[in-house]
Amino acid sequence: MTDPKLSKFKDEYMNIPIPHELPSTVHKSIQKGERIRMRKNRLIKWAGAAAAMVLIFTATLNLSPAAVQALSDVPIIKNIVSVLTIREYNLDEDNYNANLKVPAVKGLNNQELASSLNDKYLAENKKLYQEFVKDIEEMKANGSGGHMGVDSGYVVKTDNEQILSIGRWVVNTAGSSSTTMKYDTIDKEREVLITLPSLFRDGNYVNVISQNIEQQMRQQMKADPNKMYWVSGTDEEQYFEPFKKIAKNQNFYINNKGKLVISFDKYEVAPGYMGVVEFVIPTDTIAKLLVSNEYIK
Amino acid sequence: MVHTNSQELLVNYILANKEAYYRLAYSYTRNQDDALDIVQESVLKAMSSMRAPQKPEEIKPWFYRIVVNTSLDLLRKNKWVDQRGEKALEICSSSEDTHQELDLYKALDSLPINYRSIIVLKYFEDLTFEEIATILDENVNTVKTRLYSALKKLRLQLED
Repeated sequence: MTDPKLSKFKDEYMNIPIPHELPSTVHKSIQKGERIRMRKNRLIKWAGAAAAMVLIFTATLNLSPAAVQALSDVPIIKNIVSVLTIREYNLDEDNYNANLKVPAVKGLNNQELASSLNDKYLAENKKLYQEFVKDIEEMKANGSGGHMGVDSGYVVKTDNEQILSIGRWVVNTAGSSSTTMKYDTIDKEREVLITLPSLFRDGNYVNVISQNIEQQMRQQMKADPNKMYWVSGTDEEQYFEPFKKIAKNQNFYINNKGKLVISFDKYEVAPGYMGVVEFVIPTDTIAKLLVSNEYIK
Repeated sequence: MVHTNSQELLVNYILANKEAYYRLAYSYTRNQDDALDIVQESVLKAMSSMRAPQKPEEIKPWFYRIVVNTSLDLLRKNKWVDQRGEKALEICSSSEDTHQELDLYKALDSLPINYRSIIVLKYFEDLTFEEIATILDENVNTVKTRLYSALKKLRLQLED
């Protein structure tokens, strides 16, 4: 640009005042646009991937009884604890569909634990289905033709000699979609349900883990500008409640390497496009707080 | 995680460049509320689109095209554009915007609106002729010709 007049114009242009509400306007539009896009997509990709995993898992069990048989011959594994789909709810009408899969834990000798888990799964899915049916009846009564759907299923996160972690997800589509994930982790040997507080000596873990997660969020955002979490001290703070602490019974599972993984639902700590987010907690961070290193290594 | 790569790129782009495309919108509307409306609508259109570009270098021209078209739509809707065509932009005399008197706007207002877009995109937003051609849906030569005649007009005006 050689013309001095033009560069003066450019200065004027660059000095156009930026209104303070610009970031919030942009954020709101991103989220709204994203929801519209998801509605277009109907089934979000993540749910599709999870469903595919479920398919593969059940297919492996169903197609290859030999594999299961072979495992049970290994003397150390006395009982095979497995997860199978026992019941499916299906509903398919023009704009309304439901597809609920109920996992069942099999092979636990502790019948109390097994049946309480299975009853819980069954009851939760039944409730989902009933809520869904009620919702669509209301929608039909109001004459609104929006799209509604509910999908649920499960994913086995860890299945080793000691630990079984099952995650059950629910995708609710009511115009926009929301995803929730709930984990259960059981000790297959002792046949007990592992809760987050039961892993630690005292309640201190809430703060320690929360700090670590906040640190990880900041590091991830720094390393990759595509990532965004609602943490304090960022642009986002004025529009969203920043992440402060995990809940005492925050969703978690134990991965195959024996690491504690903390999970957050969509929209819980990050914008919707981040989806369900997980943080692996380094064991040395929480080593002093653990009751033992039996599960977490 | 739910998102695809292209969606991530787009969100990243939209967040990182909000001031730039706000200015672009403002250069059309001269009014904060309308410029914010354009930003809001453009981001919404882009985010909900199923045809967002996959390549990072295509995002900017694609998004600018949305902003420019949304701006022009709004101007047309507000009947700011001369009915006879795209001859001149009439600034609402009721506008209370203090920046109205800037030389920049006086100069830009002397140009037909599609010439104006070229000046802004080329000199203020530093886009290439190819990108501008994509944004305005014209061929590169048309863009070049228009730029030179726009510059000529500006110079004539500056000599006054």
